[in-house]
Amino acid sequence: MGRYVLRRLAFALVVLWAVASVTFFLVRAAPGGPFDGERRAPPAVEANLKAAYHLDEPLLVQYGRYFAALARGDFGPSFRQKDFSVGELIAKGLPVSLTVGGLALLLALALGVAFGALAALRPDGLRDRLLVAWATGALAFPPIVVAPVLALVFAVQLGWLPAGGYQSASHYVLPTVALALPYAAAFARLARGSIAEALARPHVLTARAKGLPVRRLVVRHVLPSGLVPVVAFAGPAAAALLAGSMVVEEVFSLPGLGRYFVQGALNRDYTLVTGAAIVYAAIVLACNLAADLLLARLHPRVRRG
Amino acid sequence: MPIIARPRATDGASPVLDAVPTRFPSLCRFATGLGATLLAAASAAQELHIGNGGEPLTLDPHRYNLSLEEKILVNLFEGLTAHDAEGRVVPGAAESWRVSDDGLVWTFRLRDSGRWSDGEPVTAEDFAFAFRRLLAPETAASLAYFLYAIDGAEAVNAGRAPPERLGVRAVDAGTLQIRLAQPFPFLAERLVYPTGFPVPRHGLAKHGADWVKPGNMVGNGAYLLEEWVPQGYVRLRRNPRFRAAGEVRLERASFHPTADRNAAYNRYLSGELQIIGDFPPGQLPRLRREVPRHVHVSPLLSIMYLVFNVSAPPFDDVRVRRALALAIDRDLLAGRVLGSGEQASASFVPPLVANYRSAVAPAPPDADAARALLAEAGYGEEQPLAVTLRYIAGADSKKVQVAIAAMWRDIGVETVLHHAELNAHFAALRQGEFQVAQAGWFGENNPEHYLELLMSSTGDVNYGRFADAEVDALMAAAKGTAALAPRLGLLRRAEVAALARHPVVPLYSVAVRSLVSPAVGGWHPNPRNAHPLRYLGYAPDPTD
Repeated sequence: MGRYVLRRLAFALVVLWAVASVTFFLVRAAPGGPFDGERRAPPAVEANLKAAYHLDEPLLVQYGRYFAALARGDFGPSFRQKDFSVGELIAKGLPVSLTVGGLALLLALALGVAFGALAALRPDGLRDRLLVAWATGALAFPPIVVAPVLALVFAVQLGWLPAGGYQSASHYVLPTVALALPYAAAFARLARGSIAEALARPHVLTARAKGLPVRRLVVRHVLPSGLVPVVAFAGPAAAALLAGSMVVEEVFSLPGLGRYFVQGALNRDYTLVTGAAIVYAAIVLACNLAADLLLARLHPRVRRG
Repeated sequence: MPIIARPRATDGASPVLDAVPTRFPSLCRFATGLGATLLAAASAAQELHIGNGGEPLTLDPHRYNLSLEEKILVNLFEGLTAHDAEGRVVPGAAESWRVSDDGLVWTFRLRDSGRWSDGEPVTAEDFAFAFRRLLAPETAASLAYFLYAIDGAEAVNAGRAPPERLGVRAVDAGTLQIRLAQPFPFLAERLVYPTGFPVPRHGLAKHGADWVKPGNMVGNGAYLLEEWVPQGYVRLRRNPRFRAAGEVRLERASFHPTADRNAAYNRYLSGELQIIGDFPPGQLPRLRREVPRHVHVSPLLSIMYLVFNVSAPPFDDVRVRRALALAIDRDLLAGRVLGSGEQASASFVPPLVANYRSAVAPAPPDADAARALLAEAGYGEEQPLAVTLRYIAGADSKKVQVAIAAMWRDIGVETVLHHAELNAHFAALRQGEFQVAQAGWFGENNPEHYLELLMSSTGDVNYGRFADAEVDALMAAAKGTAALAPRLGLLRRAEVAALARHPVVPLYSVAVRSLVSPAVGGWHPNPRNAHPLRYLGYAPDPTD
């Protein structure tokens, strides 16, 4: 197991290097530069701007310089947010995204598994039909639709919760819910299918026939195999949630990481885009590794150390 | 830490909640229940929350580039001159100044009371240092050209001369002398921008590039930088060492980067923001009906216009340009198509520019004359004129361009609309890759600021490459004239001469649409949209 993890980590480093390299060259290949705007600075000033950020050097020299700094943990200065380094921006944005994403993941898992299990216990019953209908509906309404509606109803109309900002716990409620709902629905559908399948397995039927209480039956015999698809999906879902949602952060004015992807790309902030891509890749790799390790525990056949 | 601070009735100041007109709840309900409990717990300090339209990219006054940065910076620093609550230029760090007869030497007398926030006196040398820093190429200030009026500025900025060559001199600790290359009567107006702000020499020496960070930043303005959470907020606190600290009423203010105006609008309605500088224009009639005391709409010193590319057919023909200009009903555009406070303008210099009365006669739309001109130029039903109109992507601007295309269809012109995001749009314009395009210029109480765009020597912001010897000569004569009245006379003639050749079609001044809680006192709509925090406060009487 230890060697398996080590191998995965080494592989992760290679992936991170590849992601950083591809991003480094792609973002520089995009038309326009970080200092283009409505007005153009005098040529001397423009030359000095480029020199300050080493953009006047050959591309390969810039590449070497960037990776040398990266090896020291330095993501470089942000080209647009002139008063901050990319490292500082990520350090300030990541905790917010991790908090909202983590809460949303927990909420989505709790709702999804609970609803999925409830539905699977009585397939085609009223409860099952209602839950399936809800899950289909929730999947059809992504955060870009749900978030403004939540803000309008709970912040503007009812005044129960703040419409934006992040200064207190109450600020996290609406973004978490908006982010969690579609994932909760996805988890519910996955859980419903696999739990129903697990319920039909011979050993479960036997245990049921012997009169094992439902709760013990579900926890001991159904969930371990019934949750395998849920956990497998939880890896990429966690990565997507934790790295920050541009839409939810924009609607609720959260200072998270998700906005930097879009703004960095639009503003040709080379270092910020590359830094954000590296962090995102690292989150994806970490979540997938965590999901695989968890799967190996739930399902011994996955273990191939 | 305060969450969303709201003054309460108990602290004697005017409560925001009570100040809301009784009909407001029909539009939105202010925080009740859970939210109110959470909010009330945090409303100990008086803190104003402002939706600022976006995230500042820097708070270094010399490296700034955006008006939303300016809105924060004017509270952290004070230039020689400053804006008052109504956007007028008044003495700032300088108490007075005099100008030599030839208009070339400006001598500013600094206030003795001027102090940096760490207690050090603000000296003339601080300003001289700041101007040299602004223009030094290493600073890479994109707005350095704001001070090109100073003697030697352009050469220093281009790296052709050392910063010491710049025409600024500290005569003594309290006297600053600025020498100009040419007379420039609008210098006091020009010095209100952050490019004219002093920076603390001692702070820069101590902290280097980190001098702008909260905790390091030393300023001479009414407020201090307390906290900056990128994409979160910039929070300012009253500066007890400000020269007029006794007159400053608000303890704290936060600027929130509300890039999404719908989100900002929601946050205003839910009471989390007390001022927002923009809201969805479609809400205006309803807001005016239901909460008139919150709504402020006023024209901004600005001109939106169409620019023709005169270097290529069909717009190298003045008859075609005149025809298209004659077909446009700008009153209809400003009053009906937009109808949210825009002010139609036939002159290229915005009507709000003080001291200047344009001599350009407003020409009412005349479709018959336009059709006749087109026919003369060889266009008609058999050979209709087809043009591409470029504009900046955005809902407001599209309405205008569609209306213009309809006006041109009336005279037999086929218009293809082409939109692009802001940067791409202006990149195309600068490179002359357009036929006719939307453009805008914002700025100051200085007609030259606008008319310079029509000089042949202006370079790529003269997008249409308009060049006219008479206009150039009149502008050059104006720039060499020290006395204001004859200078303005020459500028008026230059404008008339230029617009007779129709390089541009002036359309309207844009409007600022703000929502301001009636509990906030001291907020006056003005053409500069200048609202320094030092003049704001919670009104002693909410009915005031």
